[in-house]
Amino acid sequence: MRFVARYAPAAWALALGLLLLGPALGPGYLLTYDMVWVPDLALRGDFWGLGTALPRAVPSDAVVAVLDSVVPGMVLQKVVLLGALALGGLGAIRLAGRSTAARLVAVSAYVWTPFVVERLWIGHWPLLLCWAVLPWLVVEAARFRGDGRLGAALPFLLVVGSLSANAGVMSALVLLGVGLTRRGAVRLALAVVAANAPWLVAGVLHLDSATSSAAGGVFGVNAEGSLPTPLSVLTLGGIWNAEVVPASRTGVVLPLVLAGVLVAAAVAGWPLLRERLGRRTMDALVASWLLGYGLALLSWAAPETVGGLAGHVPGGGLLRDGGRFLALCAPLTAALMAAGAERLAGRWRELAPKVVVGVAGALLPLALMPDAAWGGGGDLDPATYPDDWAAARAALADPPPGDLVVLPFTSYRAPTWNGGRKVLDPLARYLQRDYVVNDQLAVDGRLISGEDPRVPAVLDALQEPDATSRATALGRLGIGIVARETDVPTSPAYDAPVAGTRIFHGASVDVVRIDAPVALREPPTSWVVALSAAWGAFLLLLLGGTWNVFSLLWSRMRTRRGFQ
Amino acid sequence: MQGFLIAFVSVLVGGGLAGATVVGLVDSQTAPPEKSPANVSDPVLEYGTTS
Repeated sequence: MRFVARYAPAAWALALGLLLLGPALGPGYLLTYDMVWVPDLALRGDFWGLGTALPRAVPSDAVVAVLDSVVPGMVLQKVVLLGALALGGLGAIRLAGRSTAARLVAVSAYVWTPFVVERLWIGHWPLLLCWAVLPWLVVEAARFRGDGRLGAALPFLLVVGSLSANAGVMSALVLLGVGLTRRGAVRLALAVVAANAPWLVAGVLHLDSATSSAAGGVFGVNAEGSLPTPLSVLTLGGIWNAEVVPASRTGVVLPLVLAGVLVAAAVAGWPLLRERLGRRTMDALVASWLLGYGLALLSWAAPETVGGLAGHVPGGGLLRDGGRFLALCAPLTAALMAAGAERLAGRWRELAPKVVVGVAGALLPLALMPDAAWGGGGDLDPATYPDDWAAARAALADPPPGDLVVLPFTSYRAPTWNGGRKVLDPLARYLQRDYVVNDQLAVDGRLISGEDPRVPAVLDALQEPDATSRATALGRLGIGIVARETDVPTSPAYDAPVAGTRIFHGASVDVVRIDAPVALREPPTSWVVALSAAWGAFLLLLLGGTWNVFSLLWSRMRTRRGFQ
Repeated sequence: MQGFLIAFVSVLVGGGLAGATVVGLVDSQTAPPEKSPANVSDPVLEYGTTS
């Protein structure tokens, strides 16, 4: 029985991860909306932050490009997704105290939420990694407050939780909120800056293009079904994109039941949790929850203001998808659910009622959102890339100079080989060159402009009267390769013949080398120096963590020898 | 008596869970499809819809 009590919560965390992903763990690549994984993501200058576009995927793309040179991309994607879900569940256990019932409830309350399901379905995996490490950061930060040591795990957790700008901000807030003390302030702040340095510096270097469209207010949180937006958000739902909301969330009964249970558990569990975590940690968790809930609601209550901030204040675009900040609410929500269950189970001395409370509390989130199971009932089927993509990549093994542009010059695809599921066009990442992609987004029939100054220039170039003048215009923009997907709907606004030498012809892809002069992009030396320093700090943090791991192992070995 | 109570509560809780699951499944089967099918002939695919 002790064995079951000890390992059941961890096994439950893994089981929920498996159940949420389901078919996505089969052979192939899960390609859904913003989630694009390819067999071997080649490291290229833009992934360091040197591109002309706002560095939205810094440092996540570079980290994946390095890791998938060791582990195949297909395996790495599954490790990341399953690892994130399991890590999140295991982290929730750390906030739940010693009661097995409470731990089981904590796992379900943390993992089986609309936030996790919707962000998984829309493909925001760096955000999920951030969500996964937040409870661990709470625990590690509380420890740091006591002993003042960064420790072996904290640097790695911080890096994993800071693979995108929003994620980095939230990880930093939680870590500093819980762990900041006068004694350790400098060390903790340096660690936070180092983990976030790549996207921070790249963002500052792109300050002139760091404002988004003011129409970005459409990315605010929304009501799901008939439930009012504040209640949808209270239950960690309300993502802007209705296409990725589970159908069970569009009714009124189940989300309302969940909201009621959350409030009841919060009231019941509050004193117990406050006593266990201590006032400082509890206050920090409450502040995180209020901030997350407040920012999410702000994007709903004042979309014009948030859109205006994104449109006029550099970096203001971080606020436009306000639902992302609900990750800040997740640790306290799960910990309160667990504490409420613990208090309820504590009313009985016998084992049986405690088991009932634990099992019922663990199953309740699943019962309230059953259609999230098995990858949304099989919707998360992995895809296999067309054969000729690999051949096109091989043809570009010794690529001509210049960047790549993929035509039709639109951002999203719904390929038949991906089951018709929408995905950010994967071809540019699949091939090896730096690339220009159209960062305009169509939402509710409106086209929201992006930030990359080369995008309108490419669209203009495509409007030139003939193929030769288009090639010349693209060459002036630093583009030397044009790949065309021939199985994608097209229109003259986004596609037109470009003169050049065909270097690959396949069933679904053609690749042309532009013969006109190509004005190669040379990033300013100051950019290279600044980004080298930023990445150096990032690596230094990882090296510090590795050093701490070896020190820990070494001291344990010495202790063991001492006992012998 | 206590054993009976525990069994009764278990049946109640189990019934509640089963009921919630059934409601959820019915909701998910009767609601409009959560992912609107992509218009494959449109060159600019919608990234998403807010309602």
